[in-house]
Amino acid sequence: MTEAGVRVPALEDAEEAEKEAGRVSKIPVVPQGAPWTAVERVMFERRSIRKFRKTQVPAHVIRRLLEVARFAPSQGNCQPWKLVVVRDAAMIQGMEDFCVGECRKLTESLDYATMRKGSLKYRVARAKTKVFGRLQPNMLHPVPITACTAIAQGRFAVFHHAPTVILVLMDKRAIGVPAIDIGICGTNIVLAAQSLGLGTCWVGFSKFLNESKEWCAKFGAEDPFEIEEAICVGYPVGDTTHLIPRETHETAWFEGGKRELIY
Amino acid sequence: MGLLTSKERRHFPDWDDPAQCMFQRVTIDLEKCDGCKLCTLACPANVLEQFGPKGAKKVRVKADHRGCISCNNCHAICENGAIRATQSYDFVGFYRRFGLGEFSKPRVF
Repeated sequence: MTEAGVRVPALEDAEEAEKEAGRVSKIPVVPQGAPWTAVERVMFERRSIRKFRKTQVPAHVIRRLLEVARFAPSQGNCQPWKLVVVRDAAMIQGMEDFCVGECRKLTESLDYATMRKGSLKYRVARAKTKVFGRLQPNMLHPVPITACTAIAQGRFAVFHHAPTVILVLMDKRAIGVPAIDIGICGTNIVLAAQSLGLGTCWVGFSKFLNESKEWCAKFGAEDPFEIEEAICVGYPVGDTTHLIPRETHETAWFEGGKRELIY
Repeated sequence: MGLLTSKERRHFPDWDDPAQCMFQRVTIDLEKCDGCKLCTLACPANVLEQFGPKGAKKVRVKADHRGCISCNNCHAICENGAIRATQSYDFVGFYRRFGLGEFSKPRVF
């Protein structure tokens, strides 16, 4: 019920307004079977690169990446990111060493796969993971735990000896779910990098740096900011743009009163 | 209620049991492999190795099933299409995946 005197303005028809203003443009439907656009191609050719050439990426190229990051969409346009660029090999090695140390601690206390089957240590660790797994199912997923162990054992790296690392810090007070905005901001960086012939890799293990007061102070990752992700950037070794197959995913499609499953 | 059964919900899979935690596996077509070694070098998880006599080397997967991280860079770097993923991640119990279809390269619509 509307109170007397309160008038709700009639909604304007935007398409009518467009016509009246003489600004109707052609609807740009892409023809069926048309080749991929440059953006689509970049999305298909992007891999997570972990073998980089030693050559540093020129500063102006990194500046281009920061520029596309600035224009990423975010909830309420709150832009909850703060980017930190690290290009000193010694500093990146220091970050690597710290994160490897953290991985070792985690593996030693939790990864029962590295312990003698049936031993007391094995059983305790296994029981611990079953409890913690329920509280932190994302972190104790078998995949990151396996990667963590590989890092601890020196079979896998954290920052992959990339010449440039971009840390993506997040303002924890931001609107809605700021981690999503961090993901979108990083996606802008990653796709633009691919279009510039660069390779990138997201590094979630960079979150371990939040455990170090010294690193946090250096990066400005202090409350209300924290390190949410890092993106390694460099020129990839080899041509990694051959297209790969991937799983298709069930998608529900509602149209004409019917539900159809497509893949 | 949900898509997981209550039994699955309670079953946190053992990550050292390949029957409960299936990591990605790749298959190599030795006919197509020319032993260029690029996939072995590109593999960040170090799960590939060269084998065979000098001059006719080929690539194979090392024994450790927990190694491959599903990056698919071996496939992406191969000039001959000799290496490809034939099994993706899959888990029993709590981490069971849903709604996955066939593997396919990017399609044109």
